[in-house]
Amino acid sequence: MTTMELNVSPLGQVEGDLDVRVQITDGVVSDAWTEAAMFRGFEIILKGKDPQAGLIMTPRICGICGGSHLYKACYALDTAWGTYVPPNATRVRNIAQASETIQSIPRWFYAIMGPDLTAAQYSSFPSYEEVARRFAPYVGTSYQTGVTLSQHPVEIYAIFGGQWPHSSFMIPGGVMCAPTLSDVTRSTSILENWGRQWLEGQWLGCSVDRWLENKTWSDIQAWMTENESQANSDLAVFIRWAQEIGLDTYGQGYGNFLATGTFLNPDLYTNPTVDGRNAALQSRSGIYANGQYYDFDQMRVTEDVTHAYYEGTGSRHPWEGVTEPIDPAEGAKQGKYTWAKAPRYDVPDIGYVPLEVGPLARQMMAARPDAADFQDSDPLIKNLIDELGPSVMTRVLARMHEAPKYFRNVQRWLKELDLHGEFYVKPTEPSSGKGFGATEAARGALCDWIVLEDGKIANYQVITPTGWNIGPRDANDNIGPMEKSFIGTPIENPDFPVELGQVAHSFDSCLVCTVHAYDGKTGKQLSKFRMGGG
Amino acid sequence: MTSVLWFQGGACSGNTMSFINAAEPSVVDLIVDFGLEIVYHPTLSMEIGKAAQDIFTPYATGEKEIDIFVYEGSVIEAPSGSGRFNMFAGRPMKDWVDDIAPKAGIVVAIGDCATYGGLPAVPPNPSNSRGLQFDRGGKRGGYLGPDFVSKAGLPVVNIPGCPAHPDWISQIIVALAAGRAADLALDEFQRPKTFFTSFTQTGCTRVQFYTYKQDPPSFGQGMRTGCLFYEFGCRGPMTHSPCNRILWNRQSSKTRAGHPCTGCTEPGFPFGDLEKGTVFKTQKVAGVIPKDEPAGMDSGSYMALAGLSRAVAPKWSKEDMFVV
Repeated sequence: MTTMELNVSPLGQVEGDLDVRVQITDGVVSDAWTEAAMFRGFEIILKGKDPQAGLIMTPRICGICGGSHLYKACYALDTAWGTYVPPNATRVRNIAQASETIQSIPRWFYAIMGPDLTAAQYSSFPSYEEVARRFAPYVGTSYQTGVTLSQHPVEIYAIFGGQWPHSSFMIPGGVMCAPTLSDVTRSTSILENWGRQWLEGQWLGCSVDRWLENKTWSDIQAWMTENESQANSDLAVFIRWAQEIGLDTYGQGYGNFLATGTFLNPDLYTNPTVDGRNAALQSRSGIYANGQYYDFDQMRVTEDVTHAYYEGTGSRHPWEGVTEPIDPAEGAKQGKYTWAKAPRYDVPDIGYVPLEVGPLARQMMAARPDAADFQDSDPLIKNLIDELGPSVMTRVLARMHEAPKYFRNVQRWLKELDLHGEFYVKPTEPSSGKGFGATEAARGALCDWIVLEDGKIANYQVITPTGWNIGPRDANDNIGPMEKSFIGTPIENPDFPVELGQVAHSFDSCLVCTVHAYDGKTGKQLSKFRMGGG
Repeated sequence: MTSVLWFQGGACSGNTMSFINAAEPSVVDLIVDFGLEIVYHPTLSMEIGKAAQDIFTPYATGEKEIDIFVYEGSVIEAPSGSGRFNMFAGRPMKDWVDDIAPKAGIVVAIGDCATYGGLPAVPPNPSNSRGLQFDRGGKRGGYLGPDFVSKAGLPVVNIPGCPAHPDWISQIIVALAAGRAADLALDEFQRPKTFFTSFTQTGCTRVQFYTYKQDPPSFGQGMRTGCLFYEFGCRGPMTHSPCNRILWNRQSSKTRAGHPCTGCTEPGFPFGDLEKGTVFKTQKVAGVIPKDEPAGMDSGSYMALAGLSRAVAPKWSKEDMFVV
């Protein structure tokens, strides 16, 4: 048996700085540590500030999902102040949240997952040429259109919010804008155009309706061979390739999930409360652990700092949360190794466990029985998990499956906007209170907890999806969800462990790009570069 | 061929995301038409670990020279000046900046954080964040010091904004790559004058309401009329940016969508340090006079003009202009 330790610093193409340390035994990862390497202290800055400071600050935590940060920061205040939110305002918030996410889906697939798919070490596989022709960064035929067209969904965001990224247009009681008819028609045509060109034309090779008929893994397999257009779609090419190079065999993780849900029903959440939230969610919240479903209850969330660079050990609920950074050099002596706290959820009868968040989690909740009429009810991805188990491949498929679903949502909300109705009702501003706001960013559950005293922020705590997924070990030495997913991953080339990239990137730990670091204008130069770079 | 090395310090990647939305030129155009070689970008490049270090380390040791060093995010000095709150490839990011910036042809700060320290530098500034050559509030100095010049003899070129607009970024990079550094006139905050001389208000669709001093009754429902300067804290009349000349996402701007300008291209952003009562509310003296007046005005002339404007306001200026 040979064991080696590999320190991957930086592991790029994720938001912020991530370092990964893995132990490899006989060519397979046997243990892993994820290390977030940067701290800015936004929670500390927010303390003592204006209650609405979170609307300015939190979108700037992450430039990739700033709209999602705004969505939940606003609901944290709505619940703390007890506002009335007109149905129109909720529709606009939903349109913006979904637009940000459908922008992120193709950008992430082509710019983050795509390059890994074309890594030189796969060049001897039969489909390599076809995959490289499509997905090679920058020169790939699908890459260019997929990434370029992804600019358009956030144009809809800009029509309602002024700009993307970093708008603060959602405010307690509604939204700042009052859209006009041309705002809606323009948004509709931008959306339809993107749907026709990329989603149906390039990605699915069929209509959105045809894709949404698929309910099982065997449906998908039949769909892949139904006709030439579907067989040649980017999606079908990806599925065949993923199986060819083994992306369905690693990156499993715990198989336990948490979703906080999103897309509040415009008519059922006009008076936002923490307790009324679950029942008003179109995309449902919930926990799936050891094969069982549980309702989501924010009171069961804690953050553990035993292995994170903060004072002390143990865990707290975010309303009582404390953020006191220490020098990482000191922290290392105490067994601490990252800036990410370890979020845990107290599952009834099981106790505090790490849970994976993201598209797999959301789609597992979509399959939970007993959905209300307006709630998303969709068995497809759960069937994939039951048939194939979690893996890099199923995580990617869950993510991509949301593009047609969210596309339909935005169409509907745009149609339902009542331009003569209210978009904002001025709230009263109680000087004290507690609030909780949550949503689903593209890569998972995103929540704010706020405590107001004397008309100021007394405490503000944010738990990001990246926190849930890349968080470290806890006091009981349970390893984090992404750490768990690395274990069992085969590593072919320790100098360029592309498999680790694939696992990390499958969590949509985020970012995108249109350009990669090479000077290539042809596929030939590209592969030469990849050989050299790898 | 112009080489670009892009690093992120105390950053949210917002400027990178914004950059990818660039249209004229697009990021693809930059590579194909303008021969830009992005040698490394932490989120754009697929190299990880040692393969990544092998690419950027030679620019720190001096074995190779980078033409343009782009820095996004603040320079983090905490704790106690060590920079260990922001490690990158095994070292504090600030040490990479120390090594690379003086050896680079031109240094470009992208976004507020790299320019002035930005949001992380809002008190109590837990990460001791600084801009490359300015500190929050606009004091010249920053991390590299007031006298810093790059190999080309230029101070840091600042492209602020939270985020910076994609076209400001890509157009300045094109200008530098095309050898037009000498044409680049910089203002007191080392911002390219071509973008940062006019005001956010220049081109704002609400400017006629400003003229007649008409404000909307509230957000949302009232946003079909009125100027946001008088009550809602809009800084459009005193902020330098082309937000209403070069639209965002080719569609709109904050002020057009009913969102007060927050002044994010200026060193004071966020103004009032986000203290109680400062968010989306115009700060006033004696309940009447705006604490910050439109650029170049004093309170006497402001009051005289405001009184006159209101008195002569035509009927249409009190009605909806942006109608369904």
